[in-house]
Amino acid sequence: MDVVAQCCDADELLSKVNTDPVDVAIVDIRLPPTHSDEGLRAALDIRSRRPETGVLVLSQYVEVGLAMKLLADSADGVGYLLKDRISDVTEFIAAVQRVANGGSAIDPTIVSTLLSRQREDDPLDELTPREREVLDLMAQGNSNQGIADKLVITLRAAEKHVSSVFTKLQLPSTGTESRRVLAVLLLLRSD
Amino acid sequence: MAGFGPDRSPVPFAPAARLSSAIAAAGIAAAATSFTLAAPGDGVGVEIGEPLVIGALAALVTLSYVLCGLFAWRRRPESRFGPLMIAAGFVNFASTLVWSTSDVPHTIGQTIDLVPPVLFLHVFLAFPDGRLKTPFVRVLVATTYVTAIVLEVLRMYFGEFGPHNLLQGTVNPTADVVIRHVQLTAVSVGCLAGVGVLATRRWSAGRPLRRWLGLLIDAFGIALVMIAFLFISAAYGGPWVAQIRWASFVTLALAPAVFLTGLVHARLARSSVGDLIVALQRDLSPAALRDALAQALRDPSLGLAYWLPAYGTYADVDGRRIELDSLESDRATTLIDAEGGHVAALLHDPSLHDEPELLHAVTAAAAIAVEQGRLQAELRARLEELRGSRARLIDAGQRERQRLERNLHDGAQQRLIALSLELSLLKQRLADNPEATSRLDRATHEIALSLAELRDVAHGLHPAVLSGHGLQVALESIVARMPVPVRLTFSLEERLHERLEVVAYYVVSESLVNIAKHACATRATVAVAREDGRMVVEVVDDGIGGADTERGSGIRGLADRVEAVGGRLRVWTPHGGGTRVKADVPCA
Repeated sequence: MDVVAQCCDADELLSKVNTDPVDVAIVDIRLPPTHSDEGLRAALDIRSRRPETGVLVLSQYVEVGLAMKLLADSADGVGYLLKDRISDVTEFIAAVQRVANGGSAIDPTIVSTLLSRQREDDPLDELTPREREVLDLMAQGNSNQGIADKLVITLRAAEKHVSSVFTKLQLPSTGTESRRVLAVLLLLRSD
Repeated sequence: MAGFGPDRSPVPFAPAARLSSAIAAAGIAAAATSFTLAAPGDGVGVEIGEPLVIGALAALVTLSYVLCGLFAWRRRPESRFGPLMIAAGFVNFASTLVWSTSDVPHTIGQTIDLVPPVLFLHVFLAFPDGRLKTPFVRVLVATTYVTAIVLEVLRMYFGEFGPHNLLQGTVNPTADVVIRHVQLTAVSVGCLAGVGVLATRRWSAGRPLRRWLGLLIDAFGIALVMIAFLFISAAYGGPWVAQIRWASFVTLALAPAVFLTGLVHARLARSSVGDLIVALQRDLSPAALRDALAQALRDPSLGLAYWLPAYGTYADVDGRRIELDSLESDRATTLIDAEGGHVAALLHDPSLHDEPELLHAVTAAAAIAVEQGRLQAELRARLEELRGSRARLIDAGQRERQRLERNLHDGAQQRLIALSLELSLLKQRLADNPEATSRLDRATHEIALSLAELRDVAHGLHPAVLSGHGLQVALESIVARMPVPVRLTFSLEERLHERLEVVAYYVVSESLVNIAKHACATRATVAVAREDGRMVVEVVDDGIGGADTERGSGIRGLADRVEAVGGRLRVWTPHGGGTRVKADVPCA
């Protein structure tokens, strides 16, 4: 993993990304000059113009509203994490790699916020505690292998749980991991 | 004298009820005495007509002046006119003592025999306030009095009036005739001069519609002309002396009635003040106020001038500068005072001074209106000032919170993250030292807790997501954190001024905090929309209601925020019926 460039504002970032394509850009959500939404706009810009470039947005706060805006219609190659996460270097590098490879990295805070919501006729009530753990990790963007590693279970067991969750939540079994991230988040966000 | 109507405006100088009754009783007694003296016919000279008729007419005149004078006195205690009329009535009675066959009363009556006509002249010229206003009129009346009394005494001295006259010194018919001619002619001239004065006054009465005053002047004029004709006729042997005497008595007796009509009219005029006050209840523009005052005073030419303290001058309702000192002579000024100073002036026809009561009432009403307008303007200005300063205070507070949040974000939080990263790298170095790594883990955990706490503090200071990404994103985030299902409907197309967004944000977040803490709700809705240039934010839950809107719930503080941007916060929270918080704020 090489750091090919460091930029001090959104314009510089966009020109670098456009002239010399990279696998992943790590962007602070607050960038100069106003420190308001420049970072997010740059991230959205890269995602729409260079979908093959992964974007990992870092922020000192994670907001569900912003996550949904960032994901919009696809969770491919996108990450949204608290800045604190960089101190767990191993986990952070794994997240960077996932995003670089077209996967997703959604901050656990966002997933747990959404998971703790109450819904009318909550489909999550059907899930076993283990399945809820699987759902949580899945929503963060983990692969089946990643889920298996974190829960210290076999890949096969993880796959079984994932398929059970999909059935219970009546989600269409989609191909990529990032698609299922989006599907799960949209489900969690709904009333 | 209760028969002449209740006195609705007792003033210190008004005659007390007991005094009024005594005067009325004395007037009736005097009238009865005159009639009794005339009836036998012994003292009444045949040349002046039928004793019963003359007696009755004299009694009527006495009664008319005393009673009408009493009424005038009670109605206008500040005016000398009432007492003057009463005096005229009693002097008229005293002059009828001439019909007495006793020496002393007869002599007294004879001495003042010609005073009543002069008194009537005096009364007419002194209408309506009882004062003789110009030196000419004062000299005229005084001269006529002197002529009437002194020449009468001379006539008595020269023996014109028979056996009961105590003042008789000698008998000299030649001198007597000369004196009599001079005296009667002089009194006649005085009366005619009085008519001239009245006519002049009418001529200059000006624009106000005072028809009743004209009527009075006409009536008085006829009486004075008849008196003059009567005396000339008596002096030079003209015709119809008795008939003219009767007619002038009748006219003189009717004059007070006409005067009463004028008084009732003045009372009606005061009812126009009532209409004026009703009109003043509406918030009148200066021009409309002028019109209302003009109508109440029946002076279409009325001008209203406002005192402008900032310029030290008066200005009319259109703002044109007016110098009160250099007004044309046909304009009079009445100043309107309030709170110890002049606030405005009425520029009116001078003849309005004839109705001081009306002018006073209208001025008082105008003072209330002007003062009210001034207070309202001042209040509005203060309110505007207050609203502005409250908005500035809230803005300043908001900016300060934003600055603190930014400092935390760029400072402490950043450093803690860097520290945390540093520790993490150190941990990798010390991987072979389990004790060190476990201590580092604990330290990292502490830092993570500190960061979480700092995040809460910073977020509480200012929701950065709001200024960065707008109301909708910020609201979605707080709605997502709610433990109960909340449906968010957001229909603003574009971003509003940040001040308004902050207000909306706090309305929603505070309401949701209340719902989470107190409402025991199973669901809630949040709606943000734009209606007729206003932003409407509504948060509704299905909880237990009965929220305390004054303490604890933060609703008071919310209302302050909403009102500071010119909006309105309303809360419906019936017991058992859920809570509805609705803020609407102008955002055009």
